[in-house]
Amino acid sequence: MELFVNLVINGLATGMLIFLLAAGLTLIFGLMDVLNFAHGGLFVWGAYAGIFTYVFTESFLIGIVGAVLTGALLGLITEKLIITPVYGNHIQQILITLGLMLVLQELIKVVFGPNGVAVKTPSYLTGSWEIGDVIIIKYRVFIIVVGFIIFGIFQYMLKKTKIGLVVRAGVQDKEMAQALGIHIKRVFLYVFMVGAALAALSGMLMAPYSGVIYAEMGMEYAILGFIVVVIGGMGSFSGSLLAAILVGLAGSFMAYYVPVLSLAVNMILMAVVLIFRPQGLFAMRKERST
Amino acid sequence: MKNKLSLKYVGFFLMLAILVLLPFVNDSRTLIILLTQIFIFGILAMSYDILLGYTGIVSFGHAMFFGIGAYTSAVMLKQLEPTLSTFLISIVVGILLAGFISFLVGLLTLRLKSHFFAMLTLAFSGLFLVVAEKWRSVTYGNDGFTFRAPEIFRDRMTFYFFVLACLVVIFLALYRFVNSPTGRILIAVRENEQRTKSLGYNTLHYKVIASIVAGTVASLAGSLYAVSLRFVNTSVMTMDITLDALLMTIIGGVGTLVGPLLGSAVIEYAQHALSGLARDYPIFERWIIFFGILYILAVIFFPKGIIGSLRLMFWKWRLKHKEKDQTSVGPSQEKERFE
Amino acid sequence: MNTLLKLNDVHTYIGQYHILQGVNFEAMEGQVSVLLGRNGAGKTTTLKTIMGLTPASKGEVEFRSHSIKKSPTYKVAKLGIGYVPENQGIFADLTVEENMKVAMRKEDTATLERQNYVLELFPDLKKFWKKAGGHLSGGQKQMLSMARAFINDSKLMLIDEPSKGLAPIVVEKVMEAIVEMKKQTSIILVEQNFIMASRIGDTYTLIDDGRTVHSGKMQDLIHHEELKRKYLGIG
Repeated sequence: MELFVNLVINGLATGMLIFLLAAGLTLIFGLMDVLNFAHGGLFVWGAYAGIFTYVFTESFLIGIVGAVLTGALLGLITEKLIITPVYGNHIQQILITLGLMLVLQELIKVVFGPNGVAVKTPSYLTGSWEIGDVIIIKYRVFIIVVGFIIFGIFQYMLKKTKIGLVVRAGVQDKEMAQALGIHIKRVFLYVFMVGAALAALSGMLMAPYSGVIYAEMGMEYAILGFIVVVIGGMGSFSGSLLAAILVGLAGSFMAYYVPVLSLAVNMILMAVVLIFRPQGLFAMRKERST
Repeated sequence: MKNKLSLKYVGFFLMLAILVLLPFVNDSRTLIILLTQIFIFGILAMSYDILLGYTGIVSFGHAMFFGIGAYTSAVMLKQLEPTLSTFLISIVVGILLAGFISFLVGLLTLRLKSHFFAMLTLAFSGLFLVVAEKWRSVTYGNDGFTFRAPEIFRDRMTFYFFVLACLVVIFLALYRFVNSPTGRILIAVRENEQRTKSLGYNTLHYKVIASIVAGTVASLAGSLYAVSLRFVNTSVMTMDITLDALLMTIIGGVGTLVGPLLGSAVIEYAQHALSGLARDYPIFERWIIFFGILYILAVIFFPKGIIGSLRLMFWKWRLKHKEKDQTSVGPSQEKERFE
Repeated sequence: MNTLLKLNDVHTYIGQYHILQGVNFEAMEGQVSVLLGRNGAGKTTTLKTIMGLTPASKGEVEFRSHSIKKSPTYKVAKLGIGYVPENQGIFADLTVEENMKVAMRKEDTATLERQNYVLELFPDLKKFWKKAGGHLSGGQKQMLSMARAFINDSKLMLIDEPSKGLAPIVVEKVMEAIVEMKKQTSIILVEQNFIMASRIGDTYTLIDDGRTVHSGKMQDLIHHEELKRKYLGIG
């Protein structure tokens, strides 16, 4: 029983972190038709910036704020300098965002050193609860709660606010949105910045969870992010949550029962979806011709 | 037109002569080894150019094929007699394996659009890396293993010439390939796949061909690489290899075949030179950032890389000075390298 | 009567295709100006050029005497030009209500009044207020698209083939709606359905192979057998 509960909680926690990473990716792709291969760079910068802020100010909360601000700032710079110049050209986008990923990753090593950094959870989130004879780790529950709260906030914003409406309309048909007077390029910028901030947040929350941060983790988690975006459907916000939970749980259970497959299972899942149902399991947009 | 062609031939033979004579003039071991590496990665980069530069496909899984070649040769040389014939057979086996896998993977993935294809190749490449790590009985995982190279290659010079010969053969073969009718169709696919399809060509078929050609050549590069180090580990399957190929191709010049060679020379040399400097000045340890930024600038401003931009300048100069030459094929037809 | 919109020797390229090769066109205030011509003549592209979706490379595009040739699409829309594209451009996953809402630039009394007015015009929209746009019938989508374009106090509405694929009875309704809306705005209409066009149009401009070949009062065109046969394939 305890094993099962823990595997589920583990899976959900990992899933939430991947969701935060993938949510930005899927919105950016859905709205702007840009697949941001540099998203992992935002993730790892969020982690490092956030953790160092946390250590410096001795406040986990301020650390989180630091991470989010870093993400938004990097998102702003990226969108203006990197994405906009190659807008419309898919191949250049793929190439350039990958290049940025490389640069971001190496910059971490320049600024923070090439070695991994050990991270501890803040004291009030360390430890576990005992419910019956099941031990539940506090930090994991924290992540799950944060994840759901963020999801809730964004769902509300998407469904009930004007800007959310504008984003949803833009995902469906950006030309028509412009023809209705919407300055879609500015919406792109906001969405990109928000997506980047989410990725950074994910990195920050991941840090105490895994106990260590290192430059390469950006790319590693980014791959999981892509897998979730593909499975959930490009542009589908709720799809990315469901897919992330699926991937998180699959990884968690596989890691225990068939560890050899755990790394492979998600990639196989993505390959299967891409080959048989490329629009994803919960797609929101019609496939375009390029 | 004839002038330009002769220039090409002259350039080619001149370069070849220099490379053949160089080891006799300057037999510094470091130089020989560096040049050999440049040749090997030049072959890899050219194979990547077939995909990116000529067919317009961005693959993140190229390391797969490089790794297949490297491991095949390493395993065979370790398990069997480390002779030249074993090595040559291992090259062929690697090529067959890589060809088969690139065919399968190509068939499955090339029908997808650019973004999806890129992600899927990323996933497959990751998958192969995991397999290499876990299949310890054969690959010895992360630690890798050493093996003996054929006797004849003990002498670095002989190996140098062997690799150079491979490079020349591959270069000429690929040159003929891209100028053949098949090659022309690949270029058409790169320029406008929809239109090529509507003209009746089965573009998937051609893309798979490009994939197979690229995969097999990459495998050869891998085999050579393994022997050059007499060691192999999972690093031959990592994203770094694909990134190297990508950087070299873009910076050197996509779609030119010569560009990737130049790119390989630039990057391998820089790697060598800057690593030396890094010992004294730690900032150079992260020299790759410099290349990353250069690469980003190249994608935005010089999508055609060094060779491509030089070519463009050459054509502009020509058009200015030879107004009467109406038959020249100008830059307007080479304009959009990417989509 | 004032000239609201003027196109002078407009050329437009889509990629390397030279679609518009010299379009001259004038739309007057308070009128329905019709763009006529065969399939592929360039009528839709003309509308898209006005909107800035496929910008003109040569020539003049003036709205109320100001050049909008280089204006981005959203600015053109904000100047008061509404666009009803050929495929209606309905946001399929958004409800009718949301489609209207996202189109509204201000939610003031004037806009809400216009919304009421347009809902009176198209009662079906009120009936299916909460229904997803993608589930509407062809005719309803057309109405929604026109309602959306109208709601922002548009001075000019560009309507592209509204009758396409609709049953005759629905076409009637659409025509009535356009005649109604004409009271408050000006309309540029692209139509292949000559009967509809001739009934509600005031002026016409004939486009063939991307060029203006003829223009004038609709009344005159109705009796001009030769033009109709040559450029519209009628008669």
